[in-house]
Amino acid sequence: MTVKRIGRQNPAVQGTEELVDYVDERTGLNFGLRWFLFRNVPRGTSWFQTLGFTAMALFGLQAITGIILAMYYKPDPSVAHQSIVNITDHVTWGWLVRGMHKWGASAMIVVVFLHMGRVFFFGSYKYPRELTWLTGATLLILTMFMGLTGYLLVWDQRAYWATVVATNITSTAPIIGPYIGDILRGGPEFGPDTLSRFYSIHMLLIPIGIATFIVIHLYLITKLGIAEPPWSKRRLAAERAEEEERRRAAHERAPRGRIAVPPSEPGVPAPVRMEQAE
Amino acid sequence: MPHGTDASDAVREEARLADEIQDGANGGTPEEAPGSYTGPRAYEAPPPDEHDDPEFITRTRFLTNVALVSGGVLTAAILVPVIGFAVAPTVQSEKFRWVDIGPLSTFPSGQTTSLAVSGPDPEADRRIFLRNRDGMIIPIWNRCAHLGCPVAYSAGGDNYVCPCHGGAYNSLGLVVAGPPPRPLDRLAVRIVRGKTVVSESPTSASPGAPTRHAKPTDHILLGRPYSIDAQQQVFKLHPPGEPVTGILANLYPFT
Repeated sequence: MTVKRIGRQNPAVQGTEELVDYVDERTGLNFGLRWFLFRNVPRGTSWFQTLGFTAMALFGLQAITGIILAMYYKPDPSVAHQSIVNITDHVTWGWLVRGMHKWGASAMIVVVFLHMGRVFFFGSYKYPRELTWLTGATLLILTMFMGLTGYLLVWDQRAYWATVVATNITSTAPIIGPYIGDILRGGPEFGPDTLSRFYSIHMLLIPIGIATFIVIHLYLITKLGIAEPPWSKRRLAAERAEEEERRRAAHERAPRGRIAVPPSEPGVPAPVRMEQAE
Repeated sequence: MPHGTDASDAVREEARLADEIQDGANGGTPEEAPGSYTGPRAYEAPPPDEHDDPEFITRTRFLTNVALVSGGVLTAAILVPVIGFAVAPTVQSEKFRWVDIGPLSTFPSGQTTSLAVSGPDPEADRRIFLRNRDGMIIPIWNRCAHLGCPVAYSAGGDNYVCPCHGGAYNSLGLVVAGPPPRPLDRLAVRIVRGKTVVSESPTSASPGAPTRHAKPTDHILLGRPYSIDAQQQVFKLHPPGEPVTGILANLYPFT
């Protein structure tokens, strides 16, 4: 959008505006950002709705600290633990970055579960947000898998045997469990390949998956908007009206003097008579 | 509310479709209604176009299909080897061969000797407890049958205890307490004099290799591991956590 200005402009401001206009004209970024960032939120939106962003911010923290840690970490069974000790004790601020990654991982698991609980208890997974819930559930599984694969990389006795137990638990799943365990371990027994395999899964495969699903999750949230909290008067009124309509339809369907048709499943539209629709 | 709106929309849509069908039955043009003008027309109805037929394969549709198929073939050409590379080597079972662990005199009678053996990983702490008692040799693997932690042998109690979840086994490796679903796994063993096999296990006669006819200079060979049930019946080697008998053994038909 070009606006005719009268008088002299600060050249820095003018240059920035021209740059923004240049990019916007060629990408439509302005509209996209406004669509993404400046949305209406329902009345009653509170701190509870910030848990999802917290989880995403923690993922960003894990990504950044993880990239730096990968510069010093060596995924080889003979030197892996030494490189961890080196990061913690000798590299400048290594203890800090490793601590951020370690505690950030625990915090991410906690926050992801709180976020899931919030969505569940607020009923925000209901129509039309079922797919947001499903992508979120996928993100939960990927986050847990991140925890499993990252735990082994420390390569001390606790990490080693905890992961042996975890992969053996996976193997006890019926029918395909043994194969999943073998694929995870890279063989029938826990070996040197397992460490590099887990390292690759931990820092390439799952982060790509998480990033992809975060994009889908955010798109769906932006498209559908934030769900109204359960105490919202508007939502209560709408739900009451729906219930009313369902009851009325059930009443019309049931012959007089008989027991009314039991309530239909939630989410299934109430049947409407043709003459009534006209 | 959405329900009412949906219903009336559906009704309107149905009415529109009905109108269209009726138009089609009349030939599509109102001029051809019976009794109307039959003279020359300024407007000629276009000849039927085969492109309007939804079954007709146009150049665009053909090329779209070609693009989809070749794209799929190219993706498969990349993904099949990559996924096969990641998965195929892992599902093969471990290779075992006969290993000479020394003469019989190294393992005194009435004792259980702990022996480190090579595994896939130095961290794995893979050990064999060679039990030379009751006139027979039974090599017992230290991998807990519950979830694969290394069990420890206690000479005082003559039993095995797992540090992870408290599984406990008796002298023969049979479960006495805790969560393990089957006894400790064992290894095939042979007592050989030169190339002659003096005795071996597992056989149907005894759970271990008898030492009755063996000399102290005879060598002991260890072979493939196998699983057993509580009656010491021999089964194929199972991963930890899987029972070999009972109804739950049916959960793992391929191992």
